[in-house]
Amino acid sequence: GRGGARGGAKVILEPHRHPGVFIAKGKDHLLVTKNLVPGESVYGEKRISIEGGVDDTKVEYRVWNPFRSKLAAGVLGGMDKVFIEPGKKVLYLGAASGTSVSHVADIVGPEGVVYAVEFSPRSGRDLINMAKKRTNVIPIVEDARLPNKYRMLMSTVDVIFADVAQPDQARIVIHNAQYFLKDGGHVVISIKASCIDSTAAPSAVFVQEVQKLRENKFKPIEQITLEPYERDHAMVSAEYQRHL
Amino acid sequence: MATHALFESASGYAIFQVKLHEDIGARTKAVQDSIKDLAKFGKMVSLISFSPFKSAAEALENINDISEGLLNDHLKSLLELNLSKSKKGSNVVLAVSDAVLASAIGESLKIKCDASDDSQEIIRGIRLHAAKLLKGLEANDLTKAQLGLGHSYSRAKLKFNVNRVDNMII
Repeated sequence: GRGGARGGAKVILEPHRHPGVFIAKGKDHLLVTKNLVPGESVYGEKRISIEGGVDDTKVEYRVWNPFRSKLAAGVLGGMDKVFIEPGKKVLYLGAASGTSVSHVADIVGPEGVVYAVEFSPRSGRDLINMAKKRTNVIPIVEDARLPNKYRMLMSTVDVIFADVAQPDQARIVIHNAQYFLKDGGHVVISIKASCIDSTAAPSAVFVQEVQKLRENKFKPIEQITLEPYERDHAMVSAEYQRHL
Repeated sequence: MATHALFESASGYAIFQVKLHEDIGARTKAVQDSIKDLAKFGKMVSLISFSPFKSAAEALENINDISEGLLNDHLKSLLELNLSKSKKGSNVVLAVSDAVLASAIGESLKIKCDASDDSQEIIRGIRLHAAKLLKGLEANDLTKAQLGLGHSYSRAKLKFNVNRVDNMII
């Protein structure tokens, strides 16, 4: 068998509230993205083919696991908007091996672009290999603290998504925004409290991080916890307003 | 305030003349809105030279230097040709993204460089409209160049061959 996700013909696909994200309703409800490269899994995730393509062909979707992707956890956790949508340009900081990035690539689709920054060479290798198949992903193996180093590879982006798990994460995001985020663009940040200050209460850490954004031309929009998928994590979104 | 601006893209180097700039420093909504508007921003800067890279190897060599703040010979000759000869560099103030590169240009070519917040604002505007401002580029050319250069730059950052599967040591 090919696993429980393939419920035969009984799976019904519905668009999620977030453009470019879908829900496959079979035996279970699964969060999925439309596979940009049909026929292949990126990291062993399940695929579901659903009728409804042109001329009765099937369209393939990939299961997006909220326990493996902070962004998926944010979507299921109730973020009102994640700003990552079809056709958008996204700067993804902390791309790691590119598993989550591959879903972002599915969401923005062929008209969008994902600039995926990851400093670790070990993860970077997997990221590059993923990006070979997904040509809307531009892999950047470089330190996100030094945006000047990769400025030649960048256009202005609509959204910055950050999952860097570093104590100075807010600074990293602010610095990248100054170079590459359009005025009126958005940031979505996953904050792991223990990475910033393991002695303070998580809620105090989140307040402190949001305050840093506020002091640097960002207008906070929303904040949710990533429970039950991650412990002591928050996801925060904000709008960039250069004139603030 | 800068009279010119250097923009480094994956497709090549561009030098702009900066015409209207008094207000760029003022972070008002009106100024930000006019930077966003290509019709208005197009009056603040004009392209005086765009020098595309001739090959992928040349692009890689240049991004490696740019990322370290080094003045590549290709960039040096372009700046010499366009800025220092005509006016002896006297009135030129070049907006440069990176302060390290700015001082390298200043030392070697005697061109006054500026990497202040105002200069960053001008370069932000150029980046936003780059695909339209860089003449001779088709809509997707810049993204294609970024994709190719992103792969080669990143591959070079890995100390080992990406095409090789790691041999397990038992």
